[in-house]
Amino acid sequence: MNALPRTQHLQVVTPAQTDAPLIVFDQVALDFGAIRVINRLSFSMRRGEFVCVIGPSGCGKTTLLRLLTGLVKPSAGEVRRHGTPIAGPAHDVAIVFQDYAKALLPWRTVAGNVSLALEAAHVAKSERADRIRQLLAKVGLGQHADKYPGQLSGGMQQRLQIARCLAQEPAVLLMDEPFGALDAMTRQTLQDEMLQLVQESGTTVLFITHDLEEAIYLGDTVLALRAAPGERSSLAQTFEVNLPRPRDQLSTREEPEFLRLRRAAFDHVKDTH
Amino acid sequence: MRSILDRLGWRGWVLPLTLLVLAEAAMRIHPVESDALARPTDVLNALAQGIANGSVLRLSAQTLAAALAGLALGGGLGLAAGIWFGLSRAASDAASLSVELLRPVPSVALIPLSMLVFGFGFRMEIAVIAFTCFWPMLLLSQAAVRNVEPRLLEVARVLGFAWWERVLKLILPAALPRIFVAFRLCVGIALVVAVTTEIAANPQGLGYALMNAQQSLRPDLMFAMLLWIGLLGWGLGAGLLLLQRAWFRHSLAQQP
Amino acid sequence: MKTRAIVSSVSVSVALLALWGVIAKLEWISPIFLPGPAATWQSLSDGLRHGELLHLTLGTVERMAYGWALASLIGIALGALIGISPLLRAWLQPTLELIRPLPASAIVPVAIAFIGLSPAMVLIVIAFGAVWPVLLATTHGFANIEPRLHEVGRVLRLSPLAFIVKVGLPNAMPDALAGMRLSLTVSLILAIVGEMLASQEGLGLAILQAARSFRSADLFAGVVLLGAIGFVSNSLLGMAERRALKWKQI
Repeated sequence: MNALPRTQHLQVVTPAQTDAPLIVFDQVALDFGAIRVINRLSFSMRRGEFVCVIGPSGCGKTTLLRLLTGLVKPSAGEVRRHGTPIAGPAHDVAIVFQDYAKALLPWRTVAGNVSLALEAAHVAKSERADRIRQLLAKVGLGQHADKYPGQLSGGMQQRLQIARCLAQEPAVLLMDEPFGALDAMTRQTLQDEMLQLVQESGTTVLFITHDLEEAIYLGDTVLALRAAPGERSSLAQTFEVNLPRPRDQLSTREEPEFLRLRRAAFDHVKDTH
Repeated sequence: MRSILDRLGWRGWVLPLTLLVLAEAAMRIHPVESDALARPTDVLNALAQGIANGSVLRLSAQTLAAALAGLALGGGLGLAAGIWFGLSRAASDAASLSVELLRPVPSVALIPLSMLVFGFGFRMEIAVIAFTCFWPMLLLSQAAVRNVEPRLLEVARVLGFAWWERVLKLILPAALPRIFVAFRLCVGIALVVAVTTEIAANPQGLGYALMNAQQSLRPDLMFAMLLWIGLLGWGLGAGLLLLQRAWFRHSLAQQP
Repeated sequence: MKTRAIVSSVSVSVALLALWGVIAKLEWISPIFLPGPAATWQSLSDGLRHGELLHLTLGTVERMAYGWALASLIGIALGALIGISPLLRAWLQPTLELIRPLPASAIVPVAIAFIGLSPAMVLIVIAFGAVWPVLLATTHGFANIEPRLHEVGRVLRLSPLAFIVKVGLPNAMPDALAGMRLSLTVSLILAIVGEMLASQEGLGLAILQAARSFRSADLFAGVVLLGAIGFVSNSLLGMAERRALKWKQI
């Protein structure tokens, strides 16, 4: 098997160009033992769409990601990609974890950590060095290739994890509160870097966060989940974010539409608590 | 029923019990005349007899007496030195080279020396055990004392404790859990060295009985002694672990 | 500050050496039991230069090294398999826990019964005794891989073998190396005991014979050499450990 095929998802696509949804959650339910954590969850994601998920703890946000990796199977309903149910991890689905330190290999250098993804994909040794260099440059870690994760700051470690995920050339990028453990300034920087990266590659993103403003700032769509759904659907509300791209930390956050969405989201949270 | 079995970890017993049953069956079907193999039932028989006629208990007493005496001597000195070195950086620095040079001497290398000086008997065994237990006790109790939360020491100084009050009221109680862990380790070491000394040279105790059984071509007795030694070691270790959990559950975040 | 420590520790060692010399010279302890440092040194240098001491030392070292290497390989391989599979661990852990408290030297009579007195017996005893620290430590290292890394492995679709080699093994290295250091101590001890009991040529047998013939200087020389073997082997392993684990020093 040779290197990952360079497929069309690397072209920039706008929502208008795609009509068939890439990912479909169809009445998905998930039980943990006797407790139904997710119930009758239905939504779809278009190719290249940036979907943010918010909700209180226990609403199953993190499990949502694992359903998309195929590591967890739904107790009811289906999760479909390209029309077929997801059976297991796919080579082009990548996941960025919140606890970045635990997801990195402390005994490998920065370059070595990125290399892991390439080795797993059986990329030829001769190609790896170049790809690693490009990826590290893309996330701004070009100068730190020979350092160990233990020597990096939190933000840099998270960038390293992102670089490793990008090495999979993902069509779908799953992110589990990736900036939650970082300080505000680093968070803002990484938010913008993230947006730029996915814009360039047209990757479809599912982004979990507890930060309402972050969800609105980053996403095309914001899904608000509820905890302990009972008989109702886990999906409490959907917000369509009609803000222009590219987003800007200052001007976007001052747009009337942003403020409207912000008020709506806060009201929703207040009502459901 | 299922959950009780699960809790007892039934899976773990399947392998050894199956092997024993198979060995028993195989040796009953094909009676084997061997100096090295014995039927599991014969082994248990030999052990039961040994316990009944008092010999096993007598031998255990000999081995344990030597082990505990050696531990008291070597471990006691090691503890004292360890506390001293833990409290005084100057003392531990001064001793460091000597410790590093003397520590690597393997305990069994002292058996012939001890034999030369003391002949056979308790003193010889106790001497070897004491030497072996001294070093781990020294190093671990030193570490335990050094490891006392510096914040606590600051508090003690602020409260105006004299140095001996600091040691007695603060440092020793704080270091006690780890010292107990070191003690547990040294009990195991003492037992092992006792048995080893008896196997290699000293004609008393369980180790000697083990060697004797092999030389007298009594494999059933040999395995019985082996089993008993294992049980003794396991029992001591388990007992001390229970004590540790009972006394130090809150002070020790995890058992090593 | 550092030099003060060096000076004080060297002084103390030299003082102890001098004390030894004084006690021996004044014969507070009979020279039958306590040879002086000079006599020990004499026996040591004579034995190494003209006598068999070098040959015997190498014999013991070889025995220890082979047994240890064998034990380490088996221990790491088995430890990896058992550690990574919760099922295997459930089946095997209690059996391992039962064998662990057994003194390795207690295997010697059993080995003699099965194999007889021979070099092979000693090697097998050393390997058997030395395997446990490595096996248990490696099992622990593999059983305690960060769950997040398991997930990463599955999402990246690493094959089980690739996961063991690329993630499990480096993760278990600190534990495995600690176990290997303990194994080295056990190997040396069992090599000596084995030589004593099976009358195999080596330092262990040599010091036993020296004790029986009341040659205290030779006995002390042998003990010094054994201490040196312990010291050097441990230091070498310590250096290797530090190099392999340099990512931890950060």
